[in-house]
Amino acid sequence: MSDGVSRRSFLKTAGASAAAASLAQVAQAAIAPPEAGVPATPTLGPDATDVTLSVNGKPMKLRVDPATTLLSALRMECDLTGAKEVCDRASCGACSVIIDGRLVASCMMLALDAEGTKITTVEGLAKGDELDPLQLAFVKHDALQCGYCTPGLVVACRALLDKNPKPSLSQIKSGLSGNICRCGTYTNIFNAVLEASGQKPIADSAPV
Amino acid sequence: MTATKTDVSTMPTTNRPMNAGQSVADDASRLDGIAKVTGAAKYGRDKYPAGCLFAAFIRCPWGKAELVSHSADEVQKLPGVVEVNVSRKEGLYHGRDMGYICADSPLALKRAMEALRPVWKRGEVKTLIEDDIDKEPEPDVDTGKLLDAAPLKLEAIYSTACQTHSSLETHGCVVDHQGDSATVWASTQGTFSFRDGLGEALKLDAGQFEVKCEYIGGGFGSKLGGPGKEGLLAARLSQKLRKPVYVFCDRREEHLDTGNRPSSRTLVRLGVQRDGTIVGGQIQTWGGVGVARGGGGCTVPSNRYKLGQISKDHKDIAFNAGGPRAMRAPGHPQGSFAEELMLDEVATLAKIDPLDLRMRLASSVLQEQMRLGAKLIGWEDRKLTGSQTGVIRTGYGLGTASWGSAGSLAEAEVIIHRDGSVEARTGAQDIGTGYRTIMAIVAAEAIGVPVGIVRCSVGSSRLPSGPGSGGSITSPIMAPTMRMAAEDAREKLLAVVATAKKVELAALRIDAGEILLDAKAIMSFKDACGLLPSDAITGRNAGRKRAEERGHSNGVQFVKATVDTETGVIRVQRVIAIQSCGKVLCRKTAESQIIGGVIQGLSYAMFENRLLDRVTGAMVNPNFEWYRILGPNDMPHIEPVLWSKGQTKVCALGEPPVIPTAGALAAAVFNAIGAPVRSTPMSPDKVLAAVASGAKNERGAPAVNPPPNGKPENKKPGGGA
Ligand code: FES
Ligand code: FES
Repeated sequence: MSDGVSRRSFLKTAGASAAAASLAQVAQAAIAPPEAGVPATPTLGPDATDVTLSVNGKPMKLRVDPATTLLSALRMECDLTGAKEVCDRASCGACSVIIDGRLVASCMMLALDAEGTKITTVEGLAKGDELDPLQLAFVKHDALQCGYCTPGLVVACRALLDKNPKPSLSQIKSGLSGNICRCGTYTNIFNAVLEASGQKPIADSAPV
Repeated sequence: MTATKTDVSTMPTTNRPMNAGQSVADDASRLDGIAKVTGAAKYGRDKYPAGCLFAAFIRCPWGKAELVSHSADEVQKLPGVVEVNVSRKEGLYHGRDMGYICADSPLALKRAMEALRPVWKRGEVKTLIEDDIDKEPEPDVDTGKLLDAAPLKLEAIYSTACQTHSSLETHGCVVDHQGDSATVWASTQGTFSFRDGLGEALKLDAGQFEVKCEYIGGGFGSKLGGPGKEGLLAARLSQKLRKPVYVFCDRREEHLDTGNRPSSRTLVRLGVQRDGTIVGGQIQTWGGVGVARGGGGCTVPSNRYKLGQISKDHKDIAFNAGGPRAMRAPGHPQGSFAEELMLDEVATLAKIDPLDLRMRLASSVLQEQMRLGAKLIGWEDRKLTGSQTGVIRTGYGLGTASWGSAGSLAEAEVIIHRDGSVEARTGAQDIGTGYRTIMAIVAAEAIGVPVGIVRCSVGSSRLPSGPGSGGSITSPIMAPTMRMAAEDAREKLLAVVATAKKVELAALRIDAGEILLDAKAIMSFKDACGLLPSDAITGRNAGRKRAEERGHSNGVQFVKATVDTETGVIRVQRVIAIQSCGKVLCRKTAESQIIGGVIQGLSYAMFENRLLDRVTGAMVNPNFEWYRILGPNDMPHIEPVLWSKGQTKVCALGEPPVIPTAGALAAAVFNAIGAPVRSTPMSPDKVLAAVASGAKNERGAPAVNPPPNGKPENKKPGGGA
């Protein structure tokens, strides 16, 4: 934390620990008076702060520590545990959600920053009992093994199809390149996306 | 279609025509598929009981360090901090637990960790197998003579880097102790060994608490063998504080201290006849086991090939790093990497086709599988090793696998309810293999009903006990066990029908959901269940011994890859993975096991490397940015081929498909560029070095490779491990 303290890492660690000298210095730097002409942003925290999130079409009133990530808020405060914490630094995609139509790693966003946006999580893709065709295609093509990466991948595929309803194989690959799966389900995921977008899955060799 | 109406047991696909009709249930998808794609599936890490406390270990940040001072007393006073305990003074590897902190929220815990401000005194470290090798061991006298007499000789050193399991759900559990009972939500590959290891810490008898693991986010071997330090910490704290306690590693801890596939080094000296016959030689292997006492085995020779008189020796080397744990086919991918590339080098020495060489050395089953694979991959398009001159060169390679499976006995129950539903019950866990689905298929087939009406309960210590998911034994053990329980339930139901209808029991059968009397349908299964005098009948395998069955799984993989000789980048184009596993129960999950094995094998071959700083011993890449695993963009087309010829028993499938991939890719790269890359990960720098060493003559020049994982001249930070 010596140079370049991001808002997130600052908020995630700063706060109550006035006892720690290094943190106190960081806090000093962070609360330096704003430069002239820069509008002051309201100070939030260190106490818990009210926030209202719109998740899957429902308003959720929460009271969170300002350092809480959107991912933690969804998982711990909203009981929406579909999004997973796997890397906590935007390198796996397991925490993917759709915010105002954009695919976002919810581990990299503060819950407070998500106020006023529309958040869709994997739990919000099915309409009641009716699954998103993409979800059905995942099940049909066995595009999941342990399933831990699956919610993030389903969301990433949904975001891809929303932007590009008929993606080519290479567009699918790059569209999903922010997600990883350790069990190795990628090829079946490609087939699920192809099928959900009305295209033919990739066929293996015919018997010889 | 709706979630409630969707019958996932009948979802036919047609894109893998080779495998059509090869399994008991071709069209069945995973029974838990919908729970997983909707986010409804709850893993251990998804449990946050009300009032839950959070605990984590304090970790040694260096390969060797002494804890000189810390601010535990001040940390204890911070808001939200429940307990701080520093219990160890010296750490011998990065990630060693030195104590723990418990707090009332994840953020309070994080702040407390930051505020602990430990001061460390670093010590000298060793980080490589090579740190312990001064001189290559000489062959014994007889082997030396044999080598001297051979007209052709191969001498080479192969090495593989340390691979972490990288399960996406990290290790840990949540324990809720309520005084005289407890609930434990665990991420484990062994429900029952987890339970057995926890009683003492909980101060409860096994019957007083339940270990649940309905869903597990991967394990690959690292979550076998009991509750581990995370489980014990959660159990002790919850027992003491009488509150639920949540302990899950973060990604960094997961890389550092939850096991790995150890690094390996293999010295090969082989004597070869001019016709390619291998007369024998010396194989010396080393395993880099970190602070562990063993577990570094490297399975070469594999005994799949006739290699003549081999004198083999192995040594485990300790250094300052976290120790290994079983990882999918422990020791085998390491050995196979050396063995398959070695065979291609021998073939090139003797100027013969490496496929022909293997045909001469391998068993008849493998020969047959090789013939099929060669056709599918287009082996006839393969160019001679070292003959290509373009920038992008194409290579073909192959490797083989085998795995045994032995029988033992476990427990299972099948309950038939009066409403016509069926429940298969087994406490063993589904770590992503499809176990839950496979057990339902077995029960359905044994009773004679569609899979769609069978529910399967898994992953609880309150259910009938089963084995841990390790060594590919779960299905071989549990399929016959579940079958016996289902047959028992079926017979009990038929006895009720026989009495009610006043017919001979022996004349009754169940097929496709119909009760047959002398092969004529007399009533539906559902109506028959309505005759039950009680709510349900339970079938058990108890007391019935299964015959000791042994089966063997064999596999062959072919890889086609291109190598960019200007950038050193390898792109895998296509993989054909032929695998036998006995009688296939569920086509789709079997295909997935094979595909997953191939993907992990490619990832191992091209990217994965636990990198230890040579000076501090710290792992420099304990994350997913710099510890790279294969992603969507790296994907070739993979064709899993289920080999059914002569298959009757249920045999191993989890381990074998991960064995041959890295070696097959190494052979393909060698074929493309004419010089071997003898160490994993086969990163661009190593590929370029191999290209630069040159394939001067058509059949491959002697390879001059930088010593894989070699000892750097001066110790600089950032060296490889
Ligand atoms: S947990 Fe957010 S990207 Fe990995
Ligand atoms: S299915 Fe296990 S990580 Fe993707």
